Amino acid sequence: MVKPDTLQEALGMRSGKVPLAGGTDLMVREVNKEFLYIGHLPELKGIRALEGKIIIGSATTLDEIVQSKIVPEVLKQGVKVMASPGIRNMATIGGNICNSSPAGDTLPPLYILDASLLLVSLNEVRTVSVMDFIKGPGKNILREDELLKEIIIPDMDFTYAGYRKIGTRNALALSKASIAYGYKIEMDRLVDIRIALGAVAPTPVRSKSIEEFLIETYPWENGEIHRALVMYDKLINPITDQRSTAEYRRWVSLNLIKDFLMGVSRGED
Amino acid sequence: MDISKPVERVDLLEKCQGNALFVDDLEIPGLLHAVTLRSRIPRGRIKRIEVPEIPERYWIVDYRDVPGKNSVKMLSEDMPFFAEDKVNYIGEPILLVVGEDKEKAKRILKDIHVEYEEIEPVFTIEEALNGNAPPIYGDNNSFVEYEFSRGDVDDAFRKAYRIVEGEYRTGLQEHIYLEPQGMIGIYSEGKVRVIGSMQCPYYVKNALVHGLGWPEDRIQVVQATTGGGFGGKEDFPSLIAGHVAFASIKTGRPVKLILERNEDILSTTKRHPSIVRHRTALDRDGNILGMDVEIILDAGAYITLSPVVLQRAIFAGTGVYKTPNLRVRGIAVATNHVPSGAFRGFGSPQAFFGVELHGTNLSDEMGISPLEYKKSVSVRRGDLTPTSGRFRSDVKIDEIMSRLDKLSGFTEKYQKYRDEKWKGIGVSLFFHGCGFTGDGEVRLDSRVKLAKRKDGKVEILVSTVEMGQGAQTALRKIVSHALNIPIEQVIYRNPDTDRVPDSGPTVASRTVMIVGGLLQRACEKLKDHMGEMEYVVEERFRMPEYVRWDQEKLHGDSYPEYSWGGVVVEVEVDPVTLEVKTSGMWGVYDVGIPIDERIIRGQLEGGMVQALGWAYLEKMDIKEGLLIPGTITDYTIPTAKDVPEIVVELVKTPYEYGPFGAKCAGELPFVGVAPAFASAVQQATGIRIDKIPITPEYLLEKMNGD
Amino acid sequence: MVIEFVLNGERIKADVNPEKRLLHFLREDMGLKGTKEGCGEGECGACSVLLNGKLVHSCLVPLIMVDGRDVLTIEGFRKTERFRVLKEAFSEEGAVQCGFCTPGMLLAAEALLRENPEPDEEDIKEAISGNLCRCTGYLSVVRAIKRASIKGRGLW
Repeated sequence: MVKPDTLQEALGMRSGKVPLAGGTDLMVREVNKEFLYIGHLPELKGIRALEGKIIIGSATTLDEIVQSKIVPEVLKQGVKVMASPGIRNMATIGGNICNSSPAGDTLPPLYILDASLLLVSLNEVRTVSVMDFIKGPGKNILREDELLKEIIIPDMDFTYAGYRKIGTRNALALSKASIAYGYKIEMDRLVDIRIALGAVAPTPVRSKSIEEFLIETYPWENGEIHRALVMYDKLINPITDQRSTAEYRRWVSLNLIKDFLMGVSRGED
Repeated sequence: MDISKPVERVDLLEKCQGNALFVDDLEIPGLLHAVTLRSRIPRGRIKRIEVPEIPERYWIVDYRDVPGKNSVKMLSEDMPFFAEDKVNYIGEPILLVVGEDKEKAKRILKDIHVEYEEIEPVFTIEEALNGNAPPIYGDNNSFVEYEFSRGDVDDAFRKAYRIVEGEYRTGLQEHIYLEPQGMIGIYSEGKVRVIGSMQCPYYVKNALVHGLGWPEDRIQVVQATTGGGFGGKEDFPSLIAGHVAFASIKTGRPVKLILERNEDILSTTKRHPSIVRHRTALDRDGNILGMDVEIILDAGAYITLSPVVLQRAIFAGTGVYKTPNLRVRGIAVATNHVPSGAFRGFGSPQAFFGVELHGTNLSDEMGISPLEYKKSVSVRRGDLTPTSGRFRSDVKIDEIMSRLDKLSGFTEKYQKYRDEKWKGIGVSLFFHGCGFTGDGEVRLDSRVKLAKRKDGKVEILVSTVEMGQGAQTALRKIVSHALNIPIEQVIYRNPDTDRVPDSGPTVASRTVMIVGGLLQRACEKLKDHMGEMEYVVEERFRMPEYVRWDQEKLHGDSYPEYSWGGVVVEVEVDPVTLEVKTSGMWGVYDVGIPIDERIIRGQLEGGMVQALGWAYLEKMDIKEGLLIPGTITDYTIPTAKDVPEIVVELVKTPYEYGPFGAKCAGELPFVGVAPAFASAVQQATGIRIDKIPITPEYLLEKMNGD
Repeated sequence: MVIEFVLNGERIKADVNPEKRLLHFLREDMGLKGTKEGCGEGECGACSVLLNGKLVHSCLVPLIMVDGRDVLTIEGFRKTERFRVLKEAFSEEGAVQCGFCTPGMLLAAEALLRENPEPDEEDIKEAISGNLCRCTGYLSVVRAIKRASIKGRGLW
């Protein structure tokens, strides 16, 4: 295990090592490579507002996210239902993103927030959308020489946004299915609607084209909700495992979307 | 003074301070660690075991290192300490690697390769009985079968105005005691000492006598502070006690074996899954003319305690219902998964899940509120028990139901929810037989000793263990009150078989009523000798005169006394997700006079929450012989956020033969929750519930399927 | 790797394997047995300690993350007045049965009361949601922590 003093130093040692911040996922696995400890690096900590964006350091713990006054509510909601207080005090948002589990609870909120990720290496800095970052269960586009430095969230002004997790129990639970949703109504017009689903496909699911369809056809008086559900049904691909069944995951995620959309059409929160 | 008044638990300080020494906390010089190689297949023959070169100061321990008989003696001798030529479940121990460094021992373990010849396995009750695969046991996979009856049940069906049938199923449950199983074996100067987490020091000792083939005085078993048992540490510890004993003898050093959590889940005993079938004959008014009950238990790969679990289940077969005619049959079948064993309730929860959910269905048939119906067709004092003994004491069902109704608002809510979808309320009525089932107490022949010491203190010498249930506090209170001395003057240490007589295992809710009763009688004897310097009295179990029991015919008083309970569960089901939220749980219990009201409350709340987990959160299936889920991550017991408001209340029927009027309490609160929960969900959803756990996935399946 | 940290108020310096878990360091190297191993994977809370005042599962914390920080175990906490108040409350409410989860529960209570000296029932359930108990059914623990917060007003 190596402990660099600065981000620059960390990037210099990066190749061939596994970055370690909070450790709550990695310490339970068998890892055959050496660890690169980055949880302490000041360049990766902190939450700040800057020019209409919220910037969250990747080594920010989940508890720090919950305590923050500026982190968007929907992301806090996702984090609050993760694991347990003891885990949240160590686990980091960067860890949850790079773990890239389809059931990761930070992900659907980040998807609907249009979050992007700042990836840095010795020679390059690039920004990718979180939706482009995650490729499959445990798979992402982080390169061997890169570290996730920051999460960038553009300012969002939803009428209402929320996260709902269907877990195996009310705490210390992994998601069987989850939904992050948000919408904005301006003078009786739907100007924005976003939906992201967790744990029902190899990656979280969000479809901007279905969202556009919903915006265009609001207030959905001709069976548009049903058509949207049919479209989402085609996008999801849930599995049966030790936690739940494919049938239930499909049924409940579509139900959660339906419930959300019916709530929007009734003008509810 | 009122004995029920709570006192500070005698072990509170050490447990809060973190000073209580559990087996893994013990520091012993020269200690070696043992890790276990386990079968990867559910059934087969071991063809070959390829062992790499073992470094110095590391050892392999297997069946050849068993000095006596390679079988863990419990009720039978079918389960080996180490598999010799065949294996019958994934997780079955084959050998140990023992050495100084646990991680190194694990690496050696990884390099050992076992070659198997697989045999067609049997995974379910149906597969066990359909005869397609070669039997695991006997001709037909039946470990044990029983039947008893009364009157003429077939005639009752002929005369019935209405016949109601039902089939109910329950699943595996894992104890998840917070302290994983563990043992230390120390061989020194011809004697073996085993220290560990256990409920029954003498079960362990007897198993070691059998496995070592040594005389009793060369074997000593000592209980370490035990972090929960719930039945999971009743017979299983004997297996690993043997392992560490053999390992210590072979290596000449002390050996510690602590199961890792997921290993514990994989390889230790589980609650018997069950199928309970009911057929009930009713007359026009809804009186029960006859009940035909069949209980099938899935016993897993070895017999362990299944005969007694089955007995307790069938002795509760017709539940609280009054019926002139009955037939109850039971069978425990062998399957290729980890052996089923003891778990709080011990067959009774399975039986009552069936009979009480069935009772709800009977009341639905009759169009009567289940609270009214169950009350009206249940037994009272003087009526026959299921095995045709008598309920000789007051059966306070009227009071229990009345209190339940007042506390929960059952009657009103039941009516309201008939028209309100997604909300429901259910009620169950049940008893628990106190003490060992059938002739068990007589065969156990328990003894207790009470020693007045020179320093004026009185020491309790029993083999009963404290595992959280409050035994050390309760038994000390009994002696303190009986002798009229302060509780600080009463000593009771963790049992050591070199020092204490066999007062029986810490099971069957017998500790206060049977062992405490013996201690109270011993105190009567000791009273007259308190002036002497030192004095020891011994007291031996005597079944009360009024108990008449025929173990051959399974007829008469299967228990000397019963505790009673009623539970109401109210639920709200989310139509969007089919998640069930428990809005409230109420329990009214008759456990006689509580020896400590606070300890009793702890048992009631704890048992009810554990049962709630069994009813809807704790799911475990067998997939190709593997337990799924098999990890603490995914085998979800209730957390603090999963617990509803619970209200418990006592009604008190003192028992003449119980110490200060106490009956039994440990298992009772587990028994009634699941059927009340299922009844409530049934009302809320309109879905006919036929099994637990009631997960959202199950409800969806029922909604779509049938 | 040489690490330095404060353990129960005392400075510790040790040459350790940085990947070794804090739980095992406490139990094996320091002989402090009050912190328990219930699962080894952060799913039960029996190994709970306070790290810089925050509740953590010590079975998941490699020593590299302890360097320069402050650890409180039950052995340190039990010397305090706050512990005494909690212990009394746990006794009054019957919140201790087998005792294996108890040190973790007490530290979870301390972590909660440090941040929120007047918690309601929901706050308490949330605070102990990572501490499994199989014996009590949790309600007595919740009552005990509530009671301690009232009886010990001013201590937190």
